This record gives sequence, C-alpha cells and structure tokens, in this order.
Amino acid sequence: MIHVKNLLKRYGDLVALDHLSLDIKEGEIFGLLGPNGSGKSTAINCILSLLSFDKGEIEIFGKKMTPDAYESKRNIGIVMQNVAVFDELTVYENIDYFCGLYVHDKSERKRLVEEAIDFVELGNFKKFHPKKLSGGLLRRLNIACGIAHRPKLIILDEPTVAVDPQSRNKILEGIARLNKQGATIVYTSHYMEEVEQLCSRIAILDKGRVIASGTQEELKAMITLGEKITIEAFSINEQELQQLRELPGVLSVQWIEKRLVIKSGKKAGSLEAVLDFLKTHEIGFGRIYSELPTLNDVFLEITGKQLRD
Amino acid sequence: MFAHIFFYRFKCLIRDKQLVFWTLLFPILLGTFFYMAFSNLNDEESFHPIHAAVVPSGNSHYDASFVEVLRSVSKGKNRLFTMKTAASQAEADRWLKAGKIDGYFSSGETIQLTVNESGLNQSIMKSFVDQYRTNSAAVAQIAKDNPNALQNGLLQDLSDRRSYVKEVSGSGAEPNNVLNYFYVLIAMACLYGSFWGSKEIMDIQADQTERAARINTAPIHKLKAFIAGSLAALLILFTEILILLAYLRFGLKIDFGPRAGFVVLTALLGSILGISFGAFISAVVKAGEGLKIACLIFVTMAGSFLSGMMYQNMKYIVSQHVPLLSWLNPVNLLTDAFYALYYYDNLYRFALNAGMMVLFIIVFCAGTYLIIRRRKYARL
Repeated sequence: MIHVKNLLKRYGDLVALDHLSLDIKEGEIFGLLGPNGSGKSTAINCILSLLSFDKGEIEIFGKKMTPDAYESKRNIGIVMQNVAVFDELTVYENIDYFCGLYVHDKSERKRLVEEAIDFVELGNFKKFHPKKLSGGLLRRLNIACGIAHRPKLIILDEPTVAVDPQSRNKILEGIARLNKQGATIVYTSHYMEEVEQLCSRIAILDKGRVIASGTQEELKAMITLGEKITIEAFSINEQELQQLRELPGVLSVQWIEKRLVIKSGKKAGSLEAVLDFLKTHEIGFGRIYSELPTLNDVFLEITGKQLRD
Repeated sequence: MFAHIFFYRFKCLIRDKQLVFWTLLFPILLGTFFYMAFSNLNDEESFHPIHAAVVPSGNSHYDASFVEVLRSVSKGKNRLFTMKTAASQAEADRWLKAGKIDGYFSSGETIQLTVNESGLNQSIMKSFVDQYRTNSAAVAQIAKDNPNALQNGLLQDLSDRRSYVKEVSGSGAEPNNVLNYFYVLIAMACLYGSFWGSKEIMDIQADQTERAARINTAPIHKLKAFIAGSLAALLILFTEILILLAYLRFGLKIDFGPRAGFVVLTALLGSILGISFGAFISAVVKAGEGLKIACLIFVTMAGSFLSGMMYQNMKYIVSQHVPLLSWLNPVNLLTDAFYALYYYDNLYRFALNAGMMVLFIIVFCAGTYLIIRRRKYARL
C-alpha cells in the first residue's frame, strides 16, 4: 500500500532521513517506532507530500505520491501529532468540515460524521468548542476529524502524546477497531508499549534510518537477549557476582539496590542455573521476576541507548 | 466543495471575537470618540458676532452717521456686531465690567473705543473704528474737493467690501475640517481587514499551522481553498465597513457627499485592499503569528498617522514634501478617495486613487499567489 525507497531528506547539513525504505502492506497496522528526532514525523510528512525531499521514491496505492494526487489523498486519513482543529467550530462542525473536504454528498457526510462521533465517543460533546474539551477528548476529536471519511489508509502521528492512560486505552482500542473494519494503519510513536500492543509489523528508526523491521517476534529474535531475570537478594559479594557472570547462558549480571538483574541468552535453563547457584552459596533471596525482551531491549542492543534517551 | 469551505470559513471568521472587535467595534468606538471630540471644531472656527455697545454723544450730527453704519453691520446672519445702545457711559462701563460686551464705541467728533482687554474681538473693533475714520475723512475731503463725485455712487463704492478669494467645493459641499478624521478612520478599518487576510494564509500554508498542514493533505487545491476563505473574509469585512459607514452617515451625520454608489464602491475596494494586503504580508513574513500581526498593525497605524489621523496637517505635509509616500500609502489612497468624492465635482482625483488601489490589489494578489502556489515545503 505504501512503498518508500531510498528516501533522503536533509535540513541543511542535518540528515533527517537517511535512505529510508519502507513497505507497508494492505490491512496491517504498521508501527514506526523511534525516539524523538529519529525522523518519524519527517517520514510521514514526506509520504503525505507535504515536505520536499532530496532523493527517493514514494508510492501510495501503487501511484506516485504528489501534492495533487487527489485520488490517493481521498483515501488517506491523517491524524497529526498536534491537535489540528478550529477553535471557532464545535466538535460536530470540525468533523463535518474535515469530512467535507473528502465527501461531497451532504446526507452521506452527515451519516459519516455521526458514525465518527460515536466511534470516538464524543456524542455528549457535539456542541462543545475545542477549548472546553480536556486533552484526551481533544485527541479523540483530532482522530475523528482524520477518520470520518472512512479512508482506506490511516496515518496516525503520535496520537497519544500527553494523553491520560484511560483516554490512551480508548484511542488504542479505536485504532484496532478501525483496522478490523479494513483500514490499513500507519502508527508512529516513541512509546514502545503502544507499538507492542497494537502493531503487527514494526520499523525501528534512529537518526533517519530503519535500524530494524519485522514482526515483534522477528525483531526480538534479532538480539542475543532471551530473558531478563530480576531477583531480590539480601546480600552478595563481588566474587559471587563474578561466578554468576560465568554461568552458562548468562550475558550480564548487575547488582542494583539489593536486586540482581541478570540478562541471559536465548538458550533455556538460565533461571534454574541461577537459582541452583544461590542455593548452593546460601544466598538468601525474596521475589523473582522473569521478563521477555521488549522493543526497548531491541533498540538498546542495536543502538546502545534507550528508546527514550 | 467551494461552498463547503466558504461556509465553514465564514463561521470560523465571524466567531473570532477579537477580529470582529478590531475590525468593527473598535472603529465604531473610535468614530464616536472622534465625533464627541471634533463635533464643535467647525463651530469654534466660525465667526461669532462681537458683543458691542455704542454710547451716543447726544450730538445728532455725529451720532446719526456713525450709529447708522453700526446698525448696518449689526444686521443679518453674517453680522459683525451684536449691538446695544447704552444710555450713558456709566451703563456701558457696567456692561463691559460684567463681560456682557467686548467693548463700546463712544460717538462724537472723535470716535472712541473702550475695551478692558486685548483680543481678537477688540482688534476687530479697533479696525472697524480705524476704517470708519479713514472713510469719513476720505468722504469729507472728496465732498470738499469734488462734491459731484458724491452724486456718482462714490459713497456706495467706499462702503463696499469685497473678498476676491472664496473657499468653495467643486461638488457644492461645504469645506469641512473634521471629515478627514472620519475618512482616515474608515481607511484604517479597511486596513484592519488585513487581519482576516493574514488568518487565511495562516490556515492554508502548511508550514505555518498544523491545521493548514492538515488541509494540505486533503484532496483539494490549496488556491481554491484560499479563494473560498478569502471571499468569506471579504464578505464579512465589507459588511462591517458598510455598517461603519451607515453608523457614521446616519448615526453621527458625517457627510460623504452626494455619490453614495461610489462611496460603497470605495468601501469595497478598501475591503479587498485590506484583505489582499494582509494575505501578502502574512505570506512574505516567515515568522510567527505575533510578528505578522505586529507588522500589519505598524503599517496600518503608520499609514493612518501619515494620512492625518492624529494630526490633520500631516496629510498635507506628506503630500507636499514626499508626494510619492502619499501614493504608496494605502490608507492615504482610501482617505483621499473618500475626500475626493465629497469635495470634487469631477471624478478625476477619485479615479486616480481608485486606480492606485487596484494596482496595489493586483500586486498583493500576484505576490501572494507566487508565494503560496508552492505545493511542498522544505520544512514544516
């Protein structure tokens, strides 16, 4: 559905997109994950033909994307990073205005606007002006304005920034429903939890480059980390820590505030080996947690830094 | 699509209370203020008859001719004096002391003028006495040297005073010093319409607001959206200017001359000029909304000042010393167009101003088009 090849975008000396390539398939929820400044919004703005770029190709629905590719634009819904509505118009009027840029038939538009209002659950706020809405409700209005015309492709650029957890969950549920109704979704975020929860395929961006892409499982398979074990221990000396590090399958051991944080490889049995060691050396311990690697671990291992650095 | 955008832009603009205040209520308030401040200006500048008295000497030989002359200049609408006759000098002194008269004449062989302060009225009285004395002496001398001349209308000629310079308006309108203030006010209101034009640009240029970027992703040509929005802005501004004109004409009784159609046409030209000017400045100034508005206010207020809004003579100083600036100042063009319609019989001067305004509109629209036709942006 979206084909981006070797996209190069410079702001003076700064390379914002470094030969970025993406292939987004129909029906999927595609996540663009990366820290702030990694080039997610720049990529989206280039795809939407808002930004000029130095090199590369962009095709949507199999056609080259240009500012006057109106047929393609008619089937695209966009939810901007910042709320893009008119303060002077009510909730209903805002949605009707943006929907009317795509749908000319009045009765059809009326139905679509009502559906969009129901979808984002703003039925009680139809006559409210945006200034009277909370941050979460505003975000939902922003989404309604982007999806009311029932586009085949919906691009959401960090739609949950500065939104409370309850509204965030509603937004994510709504996006999943849109996908089930047949829309292809492109979702950019720097929140790995959201991307993990929502996206069927993910591209991780850093410094304008795709550093990894695939399904969650494929991404996690790319790294050596298999499991992260956290043990609340009473005390442990440096010699015992060193011995722990030498256990088979153990990648690293850290002693942080009476917690042992042990990262192990993909080979099974590391947890049993660690527990045996603690018993053998009569090291008292409390609760034990075991976590599978996250996208943050993938990002950390590939780039050497945290996603939210 | 065009009607849809026009309808919603109209709603957006008309609900912008700040803009409506500055483009409609503020000029109305300022107009009312001007009216209160200037309403007596013409009256104060017009001549009021001097309160004077005459004290007859009791000698009919001297009194008859002098009192007759005084009586002749104390009659009618344009009289020089409001004359009273005092029974005695003591009575005249009492009136003078009480401020009921500016001075009094004492008849007799030598006419005397008594005043108790110096001022314009007293000077006029003194001039009057001097002139009477001169004429009396002249008549006496002529009667002595050539008595026949008195038969040939000499007396009539001596008493006749003519002004060879007269202030008239080509259209028959009365010269009016305060009208310019109100005409500049209308021009300023038109130029405040530049805020509407600026708002249209802010909402169509993707590199200026998120809303504009959002609209640029929709399947609509941005120029079409801009034109629809600008027409909505023009409808609102033109209506506001008509309301202002109606308030000035019918509420404050400000005279615009007999050509109502041309006055409305000028208001329309001014509205288009204001919106196109705002759009052009907003497109050219690549900065935040605050700086754009500051530029528009500066140009409008500077233009209003140079057109005589704060000091009426400034308009004439500029047109005398820097005539080019008069022609390049859109506020002045509008002000002058209104004044030309009021004051001149033919439309030559109005046509010059209107032509310059049309030229400005073309330049502003073409400049705006060249800037906003760009479809992609280097940065957002």
